[in-house]
Amino acid sequence: MSEVERGSVVAERPVPGVPRPYHFPPFTRARLSNGLTCLIVDLPGRPLVSASLAIRRGAVDEAPERGGATVLMARALSEGTEHYDAVALVEASERLGASLHAEAGWDATTAGVDVPAERLGPALELLAELVRRPTFPEAEVERLRDERLNDILQARADPRRRAEEAFAETIYAAGSPYRRPAGGLPETVETLDREALRAAYARGIDPASLTLIVGGDLAGIDVVGLAEPLLGDWAPAPTAAPADPPSVASAVDERFVRIVHRPGAVQTEVRIGHLGLSRRIPDYHAVIVMSTILGGLFNSRLNSKLREEKGYTYGASASFDMRRGAGPFAARAAVNTDATVPAILDTIAELERLLESPVTEAELKAARDFLVGVFPLRFETPGPVVGSLIGLVVHELPDDELQRYRPEIEGVAAADVLAAARAHLRPDRSAVVLVGDADAIAGPLEAAGLGPVVVDRETTAPGDAGPAEAAANEG
Amino acid sequence: MSIPCVTFTDERLANGLRVIVAEDHLAPVVAVNIWYAVGSKHEVAGKTGFAHLFEHVMFQGSAHVGKGEHIALVQAAGGTMNGTTWLDRTNYFETMPSHQLELALWLEADRMGTLLDALSQENLDNQRAVVKNEKRWSYDNRPYGTWNEKLQAAVYPDEHPYHHPTIGSMADLDAAALEDARRFFRTYYAPNNAVLAVVGDCDEAQVRAWADRYFGGIPANPDIPPLGDLSLPPIIGAEVREVVQDRVPLPRVYVAYRAPAFGEPRLDVLELAGQILAGGKGSRLHRRLVRDERIAQDVALYTMGFVGGASMTAGWATVRPGVEVERVEATLHEELDRIGREPVSDDELARAKALIETEELGALQRVDERADRLAMFATLFDDPDLVNRMLGRYLAVSAADIRDVCAAVLRPDNRAVLTYLPAEAAPEEAG
Repeated sequence: MSEVERGSVVAERPVPGVPRPYHFPPFTRARLSNGLTCLIVDLPGRPLVSASLAIRRGAVDEAPERGGATVLMARALSEGTEHYDAVALVEASERLGASLHAEAGWDATTAGVDVPAERLGPALELLAELVRRPTFPEAEVERLRDERLNDILQARADPRRRAEEAFAETIYAAGSPYRRPAGGLPETVETLDREALRAAYARGIDPASLTLIVGGDLAGIDVVGLAEPLLGDWAPAPTAAPADPPSVASAVDERFVRIVHRPGAVQTEVRIGHLGLSRRIPDYHAVIVMSTILGGLFNSRLNSKLREEKGYTYGASASFDMRRGAGPFAARAAVNTDATVPAILDTIAELERLLESPVTEAELKAARDFLVGVFPLRFETPGPVVGSLIGLVVHELPDDELQRYRPEIEGVAAADVLAAARAHLRPDRSAVVLVGDADAIAGPLEAAGLGPVVVDRETTAPGDAGPAEAAANEG
Repeated sequence: MSIPCVTFTDERLANGLRVIVAEDHLAPVVAVNIWYAVGSKHEVAGKTGFAHLFEHVMFQGSAHVGKGEHIALVQAAGGTMNGTTWLDRTNYFETMPSHQLELALWLEADRMGTLLDALSQENLDNQRAVVKNEKRWSYDNRPYGTWNEKLQAAVYPDEHPYHHPTIGSMADLDAAALEDARRFFRTYYAPNNAVLAVVGDCDEAQVRAWADRYFGGIPANPDIPPLGDLSLPPIIGAEVREVVQDRVPLPRVYVAYRAPAFGEPRLDVLELAGQILAGGKGSRLHRRLVRDERIAQDVALYTMGFVGGASMTAGWATVRPGVEVERVEATLHEELDRIGREPVSDDELARAKALIETEELGALQRVDERADRLAMFATLFDDPDLVNRMLGRYLAVSAADIRDVCAAVLRPDNRAVLTYLPAEAAPEEAG
């Protein structure tokens, strides 16, 4: 019986129906004759197939003096191979309606292609060519290197990107690979040449330890049959080095504030945090629930306070970037300049509150219900399915990791969230890194008792590469 | 390759709400998307940014939903959601696990019917502060951040409602009043001014029953004022130029053109042209400016489709250090002129079409995208079946079409050129 008020709407909130069962799609494992692993996921009704080759080496595995080599190497794979120059390769892939791409991040290097299923064979041929036979032409390497150097200039000028980089510079001790951007800083990028990229390639690529992941409607398609002649005779590489666990150290012993000065800035980009966690931690699911409550949901503690109550920001969030090594933990928001101090104080108060007492049952339920409920929505199409499997490979997680996700999340209790917060959050020993108008905010910050305040007055002259220690790059 | 056809039904409630439903049981998800035929083009002078501010207010509660509770309920149900405002329309959407569909419909109906019950000065003030920070974050505190506002102002005449940006101005946002919100809601947020699309794991008959139950009692507004004639001459009439000093490390040249209105086949032709000109690493602008001559760090060109008189085609090239800005601009113009004189090659056209086909396939495999397009084509063209016909239109474009349309549109007296130059800046005093 409906309860209609004022002749307009129904007051009674509907109750949910019965959930339709959902399971993360099963995948089969196969090996090519050289040991290369194939993970094959058949997704009926998904004619746009996603295929990726995952290499468990990334920027974190570089020697410090070669910072940026892996990212550049990955970008250069498509810039010339034994049988195709760069233009011929991109045109060949475009004719298939395929997007062929290669990139590297901290943890891994991947090369992939998204293509309609009926053209998977020729697309895999191009993918194999790109990964097996790159030539790193000197002219293209030089151009890509210059593009990276120019991108560094753009990053310094963009407050959001400057904040991310300044935060990493601040929380990681010298010698930690994560201290600088994955794409490298000018002093190392400038030295990268064809030989450096070839060396990065040789060190990184051992066919026997690569994984090919293919997801989509594979009816009538023999993925191993397609892959074996393309990749199966690729000899294992003894020159490839194993990926050691990354060694990172914190540069933060006590809380302090660092302002990267931008005169007249109307907003302050705020990053508050410290070293975080690597992916393979025993309390992973408790940490996920904890960070969702803190700064993941729209009605998270941070967003509710800073946006919906105070109006300081368009959005406040917090997360752990869990890499093969301990990536950063940060609470983030961009706030109007005159709200900088109250926003920081509110953020720290919320972090402290999470350490003081357990989250409420309502908060816990909201976070668990979201993470469990949204799970099927994440995997509507092949791309994210393949992406998640890349994650399993890169972090050496068990095959049933995704099947176990929802029950594990359901099992997280308030006591687990409290334990995770106490183990992994330290608001009293956080770096507060800001990009904003120091002339407006330094005084109030000093008075706020957050700790020592350091102001970084970088030059902003055109063409300058940034902080004094980086070499200026005049094009 | 054939793109799967979207099969849908299309009926109106007695109060005018158009309800379009497309079943797809492949995944246990369902998308709800509601388009209101009101956008920033309905804003009056002194009240720019209002449609977008109002969109924020729509999440602040209604008779049976508390402030922020819409989002909380959707997320607790395992759903995702958002709303967006643009020149021609405002849309609100949720993607839900299929057993939570009824909740999404109830939420949309509650605010369509009873938003004013919860509308308060406090909530308006709060979201005004949020929107002002959105403006700062998206535009004011970004290098080159004023580009879109300036291009719109150059391409559309002062008195045309596309002249101002959807985000509005700080002064106008400050001037937004509670009574404006009440009037705006009563005028435009009526069922006969809306299209509801539901796509995914649902039962069509059940969806219609729910739509009737939840939306059926909301009265229509028979007095929605028409916007009037927004027609424009197809050509601006003279080149518009502006130079801006900004805190940027590299100069950048933006160009924009007045283009055929969304819905005209000539705009489909421009989409193909955009793909050939700047649609990736095989494109003309990328090859010449970024790869071969190495005068640009990056290039882009794309078209934004609007129904009120004219669309806008816009692009840019970021100038590499040590390169003369004039050379980059001249080269850009040369390529945009060349495509209007010589037909593109068969191979270029075939590649562009192959990529567009894959892009369509990719977009339509998601229920949320399907729902948005059904609602869009129904709202703007009274023709939801366009979702099935657009790809065919793109694939029918010929090399001669591209040459002719580019010659007509990409001409000097129809363009705005906006150049950002690094501002002179002295090194800061230490400490």
